[in-house]
Amino acid sequence: MDELFNWAVIADNLTYLLVGKAAEGQPGGLLLTIIISLESVLVALILGSVLALISWFSPQWLQRLITIVTDLIRGIPLLLLIFWFYFLLPMLLGNGAPDTLSVVAALGIFSAVTVMHIILSGLNALPRGQNEAARSSGFSALQTLRWVLLPQVLPMMLPSLVNLFVALIKDTSLAFIVSVPELTLLTNQVNNRTMVYPMELFLLAGFLYFLLCSSLTTFAHRLDKRRLANLSR
Amino acid sequence: MNGYQLDWWAVLSGQPREWLFSGIWMTFRLTVFSSLLATVIAVILLAMRLTTSRLLQGIAASYITVFRNTPLAVQFLFWYFGVIPLLPELWRDWLNETHIYAGFTFPSMELIAGIWGLGLFSAAFIAEELRAGVRAVSAGQFEAARSQGLSAWQTLRYVILPQALANSWQPLIGQYLNLMKNSTLAMSIAVAELCYQVNQIESYNLHAIEAFAVGSLIYLLLGLFLSSSLDAFGRVIFKHKRSHSHG
Repeated sequence: MDELFNWAVIADNLTYLLVGKAAEGQPGGLLLTIIISLESVLVALILGSVLALISWFSPQWLQRLITIVTDLIRGIPLLLLIFWFYFLLPMLLGNGAPDTLSVVAALGIFSAVTVMHIILSGLNALPRGQNEAARSSGFSALQTLRWVLLPQVLPMMLPSLVNLFVALIKDTSLAFIVSVPELTLLTNQVNNRTMVYPMELFLLAGFLYFLLCSSLTTFAHRLDKRRLANLSR
Repeated sequence: MNGYQLDWWAVLSGQPREWLFSGIWMTFRLTVFSSLLATVIAVILLAMRLTTSRLLQGIAASYITVFRNTPLAVQFLFWYFGVIPLLPELWRDWLNETHIYAGFTFPSMELIAGIWGLGLFSAAFIAEELRAGVRAVSAGQFEAARSQGLSAWQTLRYVILPQALANSWQPLIGQYLNLMKNSTLAMSIAVAELCYQVNQIESYNLHAIEAFAVGSLIYLLLGLFLSSSLDAFGRVIFKHKRSHSHG
């Protein structure tokens, strides 16, 4: 190692690390990291909202059942959950199931539990009277949720949801253990090929994740500050 | 799913059982040592943030931002591939050899890298919980303690920290649970912990479902054990320490 930091190894591999083989129709690297994050957050939002809705409208025993199942999901390590899907999905769907799908399924379900908790704790934080007042004014349970409760809860939830997205972006790096060619895997691959500049390559990967995550974190902070300022006005 | 015969004994006997036990022992060591390292660093970070020095505050804040906003997997790979080769050759040779003291094997190089990576990462999260706990302690207490003649360190050690710990004990338990679950990522740098061994069983006899089910159950039990013992511990030592200053 002649110089302190070898820029050439970064310049030579930057495009590959950013987009993988996108030109050949196989997006990889940072681009695939973002794609997996977006797909997983979409699954998490839909599934999490459905779970929250079911839990909100269901009797106590069903709520307890949902709590037990979600606690079990969050109780095992995410990596093990990814392995479950990685081996089970091909068994269920045939061998055509792509590796990326199992990662998205695991990340989506894992984060859906958090989405459910965020929505439910938002709803539970509202004064109890609101629900009763709306119901006694002739709103149905669903209308109350749609027109009275959710509009108040959504802005409150937004910072938590952004933080969840940040956690998801970081968790996509686990996909490298099941050979999905996202940023961490490609960095490792380039490192195995070049052998001499591990420090430079892993610093670059860390820096790319950091840019993505810290800008979102800052955004969440700003949202939270604005919300609190609006409340105290 | 057709034709898949469940055979639990294939996972719970012979070589696979030995792998499971050695995986549990490795996960246990990784979790305990990383927790200790993370706790020490988190307290240092907290102390730095409570000083009046802008520089120390800045260093602690940047540490927390950097470690929280990058993935643990990348941090592991960075330490293992990026930093270990830079260590003096003498150290590396020493770490690569097996050392046994009083019947205990000194951790392998992989395990040390795992403890180091997991400890530094988790410290950033634990420090944030501690800070939230400190915020709930009223500001008057700092001044009262200092004006009673306690040094800054004594104030932290005897007045602030016990209350901060009591206030943030529940979220802290969550962080130590996360640490235990995150220890699975150490398999990316060849630490043969439980998740690694479960995979090894799968590739050894292809009993994926049994191996993953047993692995999941062990993690659930480990988590239950960890959280209930920390909970009981907290109940004993924090009986009267929770601050009431904060609503």
